[in-house]
Amino acid sequence: MLDTTALRKNLKIIIDDDPWIVVDCQFVKPGKGQAFTRTRLKNLVSGQTMDKTYKSGEKIGEQARIDECSMVFLYEQGGVYTFMDNTTYEQVELNADQVGEALNFMTENMNVEVDFYNGTPIAITLPNFVELAIIDTEPAVRGDTVSGATKPAELSTGYSVNVPLFINNGEAIVVDTRTGEYVERVKK
Amino acid sequence: MNPAVAATSAEAGRIRALIEIRDRYLTAIRFFFHQRGYREVITPVLVHCPGLDRHIEAIAAGDRMFLATSPELHMKRLVCHGARRIYQITPAFRADELGPHHRAEFLMLEWYRAGIGYIEMMQETEDLIRHVSAACDRIPLCADVPFQRLSVDKLYEETAGWKPSVYWDEERYFQDWVDIIEPYLQSIPAVIVYDFPAELAALSRLSPLTNRICERFELFLNGLEICNAYSELTDPYEHHRRFELSARHRASMGRPSYKKDEIFLKYVEQGMPECAGNALGIDRLIMALTGAGHIKDVSLFPEDAG
Repeated sequence: MLDTTALRKNLKIIIDDDPWIVVDCQFVKPGKGQAFTRTRLKNLVSGQTMDKTYKSGEKIGEQARIDECSMVFLYEQGGVYTFMDNTTYEQVELNADQVGEALNFMTENMNVEVDFYNGTPIAITLPNFVELAIIDTEPAVRGDTVSGATKPAELSTGYSVNVPLFINNGEAIVVDTRTGEYVERVKK
Repeated sequence: MNPAVAATSAEAGRIRALIEIRDRYLTAIRFFFHQRGYREVITPVLVHCPGLDRHIEAIAAGDRMFLATSPELHMKRLVCHGARRIYQITPAFRADELGPHHRAEFLMLEWYRAGIGYIEMMQETEDLIRHVSAACDRIPLCADVPFQRLSVDKLYEETAGWKPSVYWDEERYFQDWVDIIEPYLQSIPAVIVYDFPAELAALSRLSPLTNRICERFELFLNGLEICNAYSELTDPYEHHRRFELSARHRASMGRPSYKKDEIFLKYVEQGMPECAGNALGIDRLIMALTGAGHIKDVSLFPEDAG
């Protein structure tokens, strides 16, 4: 049985026989009071979310036994996302809700991990770092040397990230899929 | 990487800007207290007795000492020696506290003023926040944004439907605090929450009107807890009783026991002047006034996990 010390984002646990993923968790401690962890959980089968506040040290559930399988994202059609196992050529389908936040950073032919619970695909995990193209950002201004300044840039997936001023349209950048933040420019 | 290139990175620029911002806040805080006749003091970080708080865990430093969880007891010794107005800015350390509003090491502003109670301390706290905001913020806290005042009973009665001072239930109190009260406070720009249940008195004086509540308050800016203040307990017998109660409570929860601070108690027995004290998290204040969402956003060393 896991307790609150194991809580972190993306932890998969079994609560009352259902697999849940921790979407968000936050340490809170009112002044002179005991500590809690405020969590948002998503049911990996139904997609339903619930908020739960655990007292520090409280039991939260069993670690979920999830099988991971390396697959390639093939295409999306009508809100259904198709992935293929590159060795067996077996294909599986997930809906947008199951793909979740990964939608912000996933492009066709990307290698991902598909999670299976009791043989059913329930979620995917992206690599920590992915390369994505910039499709829309303000052009860099020559001579603008304010260090640390950033500007918004739209990725080919439609998601917007903040990038340094020297990044231009058409360039590729590395994004950290866990934080959604810019990491570096891809060297040409 | 070439040092000249490293210094132009987005992160380096952000940290340099943060050095300026933090310097402005610290300067404004020190100016405020010196203008009011306060003396800056420095108390030990390495201590034998880290304080007996039911829910605060100290970090051990070697076999017999701890990193200070707060400068409270040492500063009160100076008050016992006759210091009338003292303040300090010091790191404080608490084990197992890590989150968007918590770090194991954080910067604390603590001050004590003899001859006043918590009501006067509320006004001084408001004056400090307004002074610091006017000196540091591009958009200072508007003079017409009132610092609301809400008693704990009123807060719970209106949002959770019960009065903690009438019927005490610690479990329910903190669960409701986390689930109901804190989200509610997030909708108020500035509010002083006062008159806590006697069970949460820590080292504050009980109200002369009823022993069900204590003279303690906390300030919240947009729901973020900024400081914790009391009319200080001065009665030596009550000090002994509170320390013993805390020690028993800690033992019942299986928490490590810390020694009673006998040096502090000796000075209190010789006579502690009436005073009010306040402990304020400087990182949290900067977060609230700059709109930062995570304590790392105002840290010069965000990568350091502590």
